[in-house]
Amino acid sequence: MKRPDAALDLAANAALVGAAVLLVLRPRLVARVVNSPLLPKTRDVAVAAARALVPAAPPPLPWHVSKARELSRLIAQYSPARLAAARELTKKAGRRLNGSAALLAFSVLADSAVEHYRGSFANRAMYTPLVTSALTLGGSLFGMADARPKKHSARDAIYAAAAATGLGGLCFHAYNILKRPGGLSWNNLFYAAPIGAPFALALAGLLGRGAERVRDVPPRQRPTVLGMPAGRTLAAVAAAGLAGTIGEAALLHFRGAFQNPAMVLPVTVPPVAAALLGAAVARPTLKANRLARWWLRITALLGLGGVGFHIFGVSRAMGGWRNWSQNLLNGPPLPAPPSFTGLALAGLAALSLMEDETDG
Amino acid sequence: MADRYPGYDVLAKRNSPSWNDQTRAVIDRRMALDPQHHAFFSDAEWPTMRAICDRIVPQPPNRLHPAPVAAMVDEKLHHNSGDGYRDARLPSMRDAWRRALAAIDAEATSRYGRRFHELGALLQDDLLKAIQSGEVDEKRWGDMPAKIFFEKRLLHDVVSAYYGHPAAWNEIGFGGPASPRGYVRMYFDRRDPWEAAEARPGREDKARAENARVG
Repeated sequence: MKRPDAALDLAANAALVGAAVLLVLRPRLVARVVNSPLLPKTRDVAVAAARALVPAAPPPLPWHVSKARELSRLIAQYSPARLAAARELTKKAGRRLNGSAALLAFSVLADSAVEHYRGSFANRAMYTPLVTSALTLGGSLFGMADARPKKHSARDAIYAAAAATGLGGLCFHAYNILKRPGGLSWNNLFYAAPIGAPFALALAGLLGRGAERVRDVPPRQRPTVLGMPAGRTLAAVAAAGLAGTIGEAALLHFRGAFQNPAMVLPVTVPPVAAALLGAAVARPTLKANRLARWWLRITALLGLGGVGFHIFGVSRAMGGWRNWSQNLLNGPPLPAPPSFTGLALAGLAALSLMEDETDG
Repeated sequence: MADRYPGYDVLAKRNSPSWNDQTRAVIDRRMALDPQHHAFFSDAEWPTMRAICDRIVPQPPNRLHPAPVAAMVDEKLHHNSGDGYRDARLPSMRDAWRRALAAIDAEATSRYGRRFHELGALLQDDLLKAIQSGEVDEKRWGDMPAKIFFEKRLLHDVVSAYYGHPAAWNEIGFGGPASPRGYVRMYFDRRDPWEAAEARPGREDKARAENARVG
């Protein structure tokens, strides 16, 4: 068995080399042979092969048979098994959304704890996001563990508080920027309270609210958020959240002069994911969904990889990790990149819901 | 004057993350300087130099480790480590100091019949003021303008030597070398835990407690 294989291999390679040499030395000859009208065109061959392989369309079914099939499809769609499956899907999607809210809340908790400590808690309101994000994290973890397909009023209230705190935080941070000398200047956008940060807490609240809506669907109904199909609404929220997070990464990586080439990644990969997610919201097709799904997965991984890059960034500053009390505060923030992961996971859960919405 | 940074000692940061081996080596060398050591100034010039430094940057008599200002200037001149620039109206750093010290002593002898370091503080101040305003006998100073020497050489070297010493840092609440640890709270009126705490009037105890934790 071995020898014929080796001989075939040798012959194939010799033919390949011969073809290559011929292409280089006698290109005109090759072109004339290939374009010869005596040879069949590649396209014609492919079309003929496809025609031969695909079976002919079946003859139309008799009237009673087609109606019976239609009826059986409807029965299947409203069968208890199908309903249970749909319910299982929304429950699962709800728990996944709880999970992404948990990740975002963790990111906000760690980031605001470090940055507000650095800000010496100069304003008493700076304790608020610590409390709400800790509650959101706890509630979301509870939501992930909770198998009941029901919304939970305490969780729902916590998520509402998180959204309100996030929006309030945006106002506080805008005030902090505007009250400084120079007002709305690049310097203040770089070094005053980061305008994008509270946005993450608002998103955790919104996604959490969405999760509770999705979990709490009466039988035979599709989950809705704000009167629209839940999947599409939440996908739109995730896409907008990604856009905001990209904006913050772009601002701060620009401040860092993109000194490491990897700093370009969060302003190139997530925008594609956000755009594809937005496109899937605008025009949901199976193909668009699949493409968006892959870019969202890459974005989720990038969020985790970003922590690694930021750990490396801290080690590169003077004194490295031994000088952590300086570099952890002044270096790249470790808790920031997982925001991308949280939003990408939310986008993936929303896409699952959307697929269920479109195929029935 | 009341201490504005009560209990603050910049050397408490020595073994904290604020300093590394290089920083410790530099400051240790500065602290180990013998106040009486002089390699550039002659024994005759030395008391004049010490007296000038005492008038330009007087230090509290109860200070435990006063800054050895004259010895610090002497070290700079001995190694001839210049600033990289000088006023073109003055000769080189070493020449300027030698000629100026001789002129100051000659000025003191002709005015008061005694050398500069033998005068009382008030007369010393009078003479330094005369140099500062250029009201001196130009024969003794040659082509070197006394006013420019006072402004660009004497004040520059003496004052920068003084503020290069931890004793002065404690006085003004300066954090000393920020290497490797710098500062992270960089907005107005914010303080890192490793910075000196300034006492608000009547709140000296609070500042003292905070300064005890600097490190």
